[in-house]
Amino acid sequence: MNFQQILLVLKREYTTRIRSKAFIIATILIPLGMVAFMGIGIGIAVWDSQPVHTIGIIDQTHRIYPQLKNLAPDRYKDYSSLPEDSLRSMVQNEKIDGYIALNDSILNEKASPEFVSSGAGGLSLQTTIQSDLREAIRKVRLDQAHVSKNVQDIYESKIELKIRKLSKEGKETEDDTGFLTAVGVIMGVIIFMSVLGYGGLITRSVIEEKTNRIIEVIASSVKPIELLLGKMAGVGALALTQIAIWIISIMGLATLAGPIISSYIAEKVPDQTAQAAAAQSSQGINPSAFTIPTIEPSLIILFVIFFILGYLIYSSLFAAVGAAVDSETDTQQFMFPIMLPIMIGYFIMFRAMANPDSTLAVVGSLIPFCAPIVMITRVAITDVPIWEILTSILLMIGTFVGTMWLSAKIYSVGILSYGKSANFKELLKWVRE
Amino acid sequence: MSVIKVDNISKNFGETKAVQRVSFEVPKGCIFGLLGPNGAGKTTAIRIINHILIADSGTVTVNEVKVSPETQRMIGYMPEERGLYKKMKVGEQLIYLAQLKGLSHSEAKQSIKYWLDRFEALDWYNKEVGELSKGMSQKIQFIATIAHDPDIYIFDEPFSGLDPINSEMLKDIVIELREKDKTILFSTHRMEQVEQMCDDICLFNKGKAVLKGNLRDIKKSFGKNTINIEFQGDHTFLDDLDNVRINNRSTNFAEIRVLNGQSMQHILKTAMEHAEIYKFERIEPSLTEIFISTVGEDNINPNELT
Repeated sequence: MNFQQILLVLKREYTTRIRSKAFIIATILIPLGMVAFMGIGIGIAVWDSQPVHTIGIIDQTHRIYPQLKNLAPDRYKDYSSLPEDSLRSMVQNEKIDGYIALNDSILNEKASPEFVSSGAGGLSLQTTIQSDLREAIRKVRLDQAHVSKNVQDIYESKIELKIRKLSKEGKETEDDTGFLTAVGVIMGVIIFMSVLGYGGLITRSVIEEKTNRIIEVIASSVKPIELLLGKMAGVGALALTQIAIWIISIMGLATLAGPIISSYIAEKVPDQTAQAAAAQSSQGINPSAFTIPTIEPSLIILFVIFFILGYLIYSSLFAAVGAAVDSETDTQQFMFPIMLPIMIGYFIMFRAMANPDSTLAVVGSLIPFCAPIVMITRVAITDVPIWEILTSILLMIGTFVGTMWLSAKIYSVGILSYGKSANFKELLKWVRE
Repeated sequence: MSVIKVDNISKNFGETKAVQRVSFEVPKGCIFGLLGPNGAGKTTAIRIINHILIADSGTVTVNEVKVSPETQRMIGYMPEERGLYKKMKVGEQLIYLAQLKGLSHSEAKQSIKYWLDRFEALDWYNKEVGELSKGMSQKIQFIATIAHDPDIYIFDEPFSGLDPINSEMLKDIVIELREKDKTILFSTHRMEQVEQMCDDICLFNKGKAVLKGNLRDIKKSFGKNTINIEFQGDHTFLDDLDNVRINNRSTNFAEIRVLNGQSMQHILKTAMEHAEIYKFERIEPSLTEIFISTVGEDNINPNELT
């Protein structure tokens, strides 16, 4: 193998692409797109008004309804004067969304109340009604039992969990699990998207050289393996450049944004901050700390390592796809088996986000095809044993050697076969040759 | 001295025997033609010489060196399926391709400026290849092949797809290169080009080299067994002739290969009875005729020979 040749190919791939409008536009638009995407998601959640559902209540105890009315005056309507049949017909005519008949047996014999529903409101309405009823009935029962005020207060008290994290070095800090989870998921998503995006770029680049018919000119100067490695390295360098630009600009923005946000909040909306603080404290987030938590440099280094390994494994496969087909429309049948493991990794990542030490997450972070995505998320959130990280990296390197061997075989035959796309049977033959 | 020595090479693709035990030698400073119908194995042989494919058995040496990345640099190769990066600028692209052949950046630039200047194309230097016309990009393709000033040039079906101006230009370049004692090997399925240009030939059919050697010697060995006849009048008498094969026939012209000792005088007599004869000439057979009589009429797909 001639390193000089690989370097020449690398340089061409890198310089022609980094100057392209597509690269510059993508570098700017992808983060904006992600922010917009999240913004739209939050916006929908905020602006989506909860429709008012009316639930008829026939309260024979005359004690539960007042409690329900306290909880949600718009939702529950007292129809105790009407017979159950007329409520049935009101549900059928969609005048109300459902009704509940409450009698003494519910208070005394612990029978379960029955909710007759028109089906409106979905699961969230059912959950709300269940919790409303639980609270109302508990209150009435407590009253009935003549429990002292003290005990009633105990029942009404809400418990918060304040979390502080103790590191191995004995340093105690504010818990930043929420923040680190977000960082882990974002890193996982970036690896997922970049591997797919740049893998696709490799496929297209290989096909382009075939359809341009320049490949044979190149092949008379460069070995296929040199061309392949140079191409993968060039596009990989491009991907790293893009990610470096993003990381640097995010860090820059973060250092700028921290003080701005705090001063903005302090000056403009002090009242709302207090309210928001009250609201948020119940969710376990400390609002007083608007300083951005720090990301460990070791995490960024691991991110780069896992990105590179994931990219290498998948891009070698994507290159083989490009060599096997004659035009981009034929890539589908080969893309599926490559996409499958990375999609599985993507879904395991979301499990690992909630439970980074579960068996699924640990296994997923060791399987080389899922590891780049799953492991980085785990590493960001929790302390992963060093041997797991090393095993994962070694397995990925081994896998890369395998995929590269396979890809080089397919590539060296495929680039010279014009006019038709190969099928799996032919690929097998190429590999055996 | 032979600059290219092909020794008993074979190459199979699965069941297909693309090249079977082929040997030939290309002497220095000659124009060597590799002929045969499409699918005869010419391109496979050429790719093996260029070290793009590896022969299953047999050896190829270039300037006494076994084919390798080293020999690749001694060769300028223009494949049949050729093209360029559409979105790359002419200058950059040519420098890149020349660098891959081992030139330094400055050497490459100098050579490319020289050739662009010769083709009056210096102002294309900063244009993207996609902006050029087909004829223009063909010129760029030549420069890409010859810019690193190799000793050996290999053109696979060079005239297919070329416009007439570039065809002429390529012929001039080839002749100029031979004057500089360079060696040229090209493949074609068009016989008349070979007759005009080649010193030596190797005839391919179905993966085998069926005839090779100096073109003039080959022709001589076949003797003057062919008649060129020009006439005016009824040409159907040609259909009644026995023991002949008629190539290149039109209403007032025919090339008649005489078979099985058929008497030429008899043909002349028959012709005179039916038409007015303008010309009757005994000649050496054409290359097409040589090819047909070598491989046998039944083994040829006539559509692939012109």
